[in-house]
Amino acid sequence: MANYGMAFDYKFCINCHACEVACKEENGIDLGAKNHRLWIQEDGNTSGDFWNLDKDKVQFMQMQCQECEEAPCLKACPNGAIYRDDNGIVRLHKNLCDLTMACMHACPYGARYVDEKRHVTDKCIFCADTRLARGETTTACQITCPAKLRYFGDLDDEKSEISQILKERKHFTLKSELGTKPKLFYLE
Amino acid sequence: MKIIETSRRKFLQGSVALCVYATSSFSSPIFTTKTSDKKVKDIPYLCNMCRNKCAGFARVENGTLTKLNPNQYFPKSRNMLCPKGNAGIQALYDSDRLKYPLIRIGERGDGRYKRVTWDEANEYIKDKLLKIIDEQKDNRSTVAYCNGEGFNKDEYIKFFGSKLGSANFLDEGSICLNTKLGATQLTIGDIGEMDVAGSDYMIISGANRYESLITPDSVDMIHAKQKLIVLDPRCTMTAIKADEYLPLHPGTDLAFCLSMIYIALKEELYDKAYVKKYFQDFDKLQKHILKNKYTAQWAEEKSHISAEKIERITREFFAASHPLYYLGRRSVWSANDFQLRRAMVLINALAGSINRKGGIIFGKPFRLKEEEITEPFYNNAEGRFDLDGIVYGSQKGGSWLNFREKVINQTAPYTVKVLFVRKHNIMQNMPNITKTKKMLTMMDLVVVLDTMPSDTAMMADVILPECTYLEREDMVVSFNRLEPSLALRNRVLAPLYESKTMQDILKGLGKKLSTPLFEISSKYDEDLQDAIKEQGKTKAFNEGGYNLAELYKDDISTRNKKLILTQFDENVYVSLKTKGVWHPYIENQKNLGNDLYEYYPEDKRFYTVQKKYKVNCFLKKLQKYGFDAMPTWHDRYDFKPAKDSFRVITGRYVTSTQTATTNNMMLKDMKETNRLWINAQVAKKLEIEEDDYVIVTSSVSSVVLQAYPTNKIAPQVVWFAHGFGATAQELTNAFGKGASDNMIIEDKFEKIYGCATMHETDVNIRKL
Amino acid sequence: MNFIKKIIPMKDFTLRSLMQFEKTPLNMLMFVITIALLVAFGWGVVEYLVHSHHAYNITRQHPWGLLIAMYIFFVVSSTGLCIVGSLGDVFGFKDYMAMSKRAILGSIVTILAGFAVIAFEIGHPVRMLIYNVLSPGLTSAIWWMGTLYGIYLTFMIIEFIFLMRNDMKNARIFGLTGLLVGLAAHSNLGGVFGFLNARIISNGVFYPTYFILTAFITGIYLTYLMYGFRYKMQIPDDIKKGLLGLAKIQALLLGILMFFETWKLMTAVYGGMPGRADTAEHIFHSAGFLYGEVLCGMVIPFVVMLATKWQSIKLYVFTSFIGMIGIFFMRYDLVHDTQVKPLQMMKITEYQLPPTWIEYFPSAAEIAIGFGAIGIFFMLYYFGQKMFELDATEH
Ligand code: SF4
Ligand code: SF4
Ligand code: SF4
Repeated sequence: MANYGMAFDYKFCINCHACEVACKEENGIDLGAKNHRLWIQEDGNTSGDFWNLDKDKVQFMQMQCQECEEAPCLKACPNGAIYRDDNGIVRLHKNLCDLTMACMHACPYGARYVDEKRHVTDKCIFCADTRLARGETTTACQITCPAKLRYFGDLDDEKSEISQILKERKHFTLKSELGTKPKLFYLE
Repeated sequence: MKIIETSRRKFLQGSVALCVYATSSFSSPIFTTKTSDKKVKDIPYLCNMCRNKCAGFARVENGTLTKLNPNQYFPKSRNMLCPKGNAGIQALYDSDRLKYPLIRIGERGDGRYKRVTWDEANEYIKDKLLKIIDEQKDNRSTVAYCNGEGFNKDEYIKFFGSKLGSANFLDEGSICLNTKLGATQLTIGDIGEMDVAGSDYMIISGANRYESLITPDSVDMIHAKQKLIVLDPRCTMTAIKADEYLPLHPGTDLAFCLSMIYIALKEELYDKAYVKKYFQDFDKLQKHILKNKYTAQWAEEKSHISAEKIERITREFFAASHPLYYLGRRSVWSANDFQLRRAMVLINALAGSINRKGGIIFGKPFRLKEEEITEPFYNNAEGRFDLDGIVYGSQKGGSWLNFREKVINQTAPYTVKVLFVRKHNIMQNMPNITKTKKMLTMMDLVVVLDTMPSDTAMMADVILPECTYLEREDMVVSFNRLEPSLALRNRVLAPLYESKTMQDILKGLGKKLSTPLFEISSKYDEDLQDAIKEQGKTKAFNEGGYNLAELYKDDISTRNKKLILTQFDENVYVSLKTKGVWHPYIENQKNLGNDLYEYYPEDKRFYTVQKKYKVNCFLKKLQKYGFDAMPTWHDRYDFKPAKDSFRVITGRYVTSTQTATTNNMMLKDMKETNRLWINAQVAKKLEIEEDDYVIVTSSVSSVVLQAYPTNKIAPQVVWFAHGFGATAQELTNAFGKGASDNMIIEDKFEKIYGCATMHETDVNIRKL
Repeated sequence: MNFIKKIIPMKDFTLRSLMQFEKTPLNMLMFVITIALLVAFGWGVVEYLVHSHHAYNITRQHPWGLLIAMYIFFVVSSTGLCIVGSLGDVFGFKDYMAMSKRAILGSIVTILAGFAVIAFEIGHPVRMLIYNVLSPGLTSAIWWMGTLYGIYLTFMIIEFIFLMRNDMKNARIFGLTGLLVGLAAHSNLGGVFGFLNARIISNGVFYPTYFILTAFITGIYLTYLMYGFRYKMQIPDDIKKGLLGLAKIQALLLGILMFFETWKLMTAVYGGMPGRADTAEHIFHSAGFLYGEVLCGMVIPFVVMLATKWQSIKLYVFTSFIGMIGIFFMRYDLVHDTQVKPLQMMKITEYQLPPTWIEYFPSAAEIAIGFGAIGIFFMLYYFGQKMFELDATEH
């Protein structure tokens, strides 16, 4: 019983893709550039001409399922295949998924994709059926990240590192105006 | 326009080596395995996807490697695994891997091979080798041998150098970092180590630490509370992350450095006490720099960095408490590279940043004892010739370009007829590939030990499949100086297919070759003849050390155990076997948050050690040979590409290590190909748009690739990453993807260390 | 057979007679078209079974494609025909009594065609049937829509049976419930889009109401087409009156629709809200919207009806054909436009142009299945006509 979330010290990211590769290997994600549970988004561009380049707008954002508390995908599934597990993670009963793709259509973050191997929709589940299932307390992306910018932990536990850091530092969530209440936080 | 001859019909005859996955739209092939929810015992190993050797734990389930995870105990890799490290699984399970020994049956380079047994392969090598050495009257140096992998390099040298007796060893140093090593060694008497974490003000030029990851430097830079200044002719990831990015012309970093020295001397910013205590010939340096008026205005003209910035940064640098001018690693870019690295060392020294926190430290590495072997002495073995005409040069790894030049021009004092290549993709890694090809064609016997059918392997007479780093145990290694540790690569899986470890390969070869080669020596070597007369054959053989496989009497784990237990204790051994690492504080590492650790407590790190050394401003030997004894600018260093031409510079993606990872499925997903970076405004004038194909032509050859117009590169400069453009069709994922930089880079080398200068080639660009 | 006939009166027919029809050029043309469409449908299905979703051009960014659009096209048609059919037997408008049977049959066969399409759109149709019942997703508009359409279909069939038995009382009861369930189902389909808070262009009350409105319009177009074909333009007087009446209603509805659309776009563009204004402008500049939806779907029929003062049935049959093309574009654009604005507006790899609008064009298999289903509609309708007496004017 936990309420898992993640916080990103996103300005540290060097866009190295270690997280993405680690995730793919851990969770057996299909190869192919379009199949991924997580990705890094290049926010902002360099501007101006080369000798007077403004590069400070360039940021890299860690993108994956936001583990919405009010999850549009969960609500949109006609078969009740999407549920919230004991750890607060939005999960999928694989044998209930009929691939209507209503969830993909409904997710505001483009987090879901079709898992070709298992023929269901898939998304980041914080390594719930691999690492967490065997009692580990880290996700594949968190532990491998050279910048160690990904904080993963229990939001309900006041003493957890993530709770502490969220208390100490300013942060924001993505598309919060939609009322999805994401559990992924970006640290300022 | 095709860059690759696709008409060649290539196949490895009689072997299943080319098992191409049938990719149909019916079912996409499955390359990744999901880990299970079972607990398993993780095996500590050391990564080998690049030169860093980060530590990790491998997860094996039902005999399948399912995941690689970082190892929190290794001070060097700071509990991380980069994308390449994570994709190591795909290197192990690459379906294109070399699986069986192969012997060439077609023309060299046409790719026709037959599968043979190990014994047949060794027999084949033996026959050829004996004939050649006999013809060469026991001149063992007719056998050249080279190696591109850090681990086991010394053992490899022991076999071919110490035991077999060849002087001609070549490694990647002369196409990589020898100038930097040499400059540091000659200036402060040690190659040192840079304490990035301890520095509060760091200048990087000519290095791209966020895309070409070096542990722990890259990781430390992210977290260090420091001001970071980056100089680069291309806005790299490091530049993006810098506090201040200074774009400049390629090859003009030296002007910037000289100007920094000038300002420091002029304004007396330097650490006077330090200079007084350690500097040799400081007056000469002072006079030289001031006389040449390397002012900020002068440097602005050369480098395009504004004088105001140069002045400000110099002042900030010398005012900082722990400034560091980062020396780089893969470094030989321009003809002035040796003196550039010297200038960098001198800047650090002027600031007193030597042998102290945040500077170039000497530290206290663990020194591992060597395993003893008897080295035979061959009277007829000649010396190396590739350092002729080179001032210093590396006695160990030589100079590749000079060697190649002498071989193909037949100006070497004797002929080199044999080349053993181990994990060294010489057909891709040095400038002007056409010449390498020519050199290989002139050899009578080329033997390649590798894991992949690289472009080089496809030029071999005999291909011996080595196993990957995940299938072998290696000898324990000592790492780092500030926070020294020992690390040991444990075996994760038994070698797949018929591949073998290097040790087993050499053992097999040694067994085959020792006696017959001894016979040849006894034919030509008078000393040996005497010894035989005195002691009898067997004794002369044994005591003379002619058994090439001597080192391999015991297997690697026995040797490891012996070595560790004689020098350390049982705890160290257990730690190395179970954690892969040992350092004195391993039991008490402190978690600094988010699984970053403190290894050595601050007061136990070797920031400053007792050591006698001097800072040498003036190198007499260089003066003697007619070179600059001190860093000096010459007009020929000015950046002046001809009108309408571009200087081509090279570099790397974070997802690839030279050409070694070029066929990796997973990494291909991340970056499929390289592209030509060209200034957006220039591209517009040339009507080149993103995705357009362009042909890039230099004086040696041309390549075709897609363009990427961007404002992140200077108008007269183009860039594309190294590690693409493989021509071996056997590399099914890499073949035909992107272009190879060394196809067009001209083969120039500087004369102080004989290192290839990579950024001295101008090219023309035309849209296709 | 007799047992079935006891439940639902049928014409006398044999297998042979079912296959025979007057070989007029128009009939032959319809025959050829129907067969061609059915063959296409079959090919598309085989393609799908072999390659699964790879046969379609749908992507991560654009998971819904032509098949969803065609499904909507059919179910909207069905609802529309149900409304038209209800005018007579449910609401008791005398002029429309005669149309009920044909319209209700039409509504049944269109929804069947729709189901045929959707079965090959979703990955596991069987799972859908099972878990729709076993683990209903009550918050899901799709669940409500699917379930209600299922019930609706049942009611429509029962209504049709009573109609055939000329049991008008029961027909009315089931017709009314069917209609209500149908409208509920239909507005839920609108809800599928209206609930999308991720896609502000669709979010809100517009689609649920718009769907009902356009359903009615579609129903009228189809009624014209069915009668135009049935009587080869020689419309008998009892029907004529009804059809002329429908024209007036249609003109009114089209007027309302144009009014709706105008305000929807105006409100979307006004204020320049990112994600909505730009999308609306993008839609406004797309050919499908301008020529398909506006010109074919609204303006031409409206102008024709206005210009002819609701008197020229023949012309209306033709404009209805044009109108249906417009309706198709409305469905297609509805699905496409919802997804056209990428959720991910940034580059995720270096060598990629920043995402602009998401492109989608249906694959051959999608086209084959989507349009092939029209063949299913033709076929079922043809058999329906052959088996049932749809023209009995006196109750
Ligand atoms: S591993 Fe860390 S630094 Fe690298 S891309 Fe992922 S989040 Fe960024
Ligand atoms: S981000 Fe998307 S997939 Fe994840 S919980 Fe929210 S709606 Fe669902
Ligand atoms: S930097 Fe990456 S590839 Fe290199 S050794 Fe470390 S994990 Fe392996």
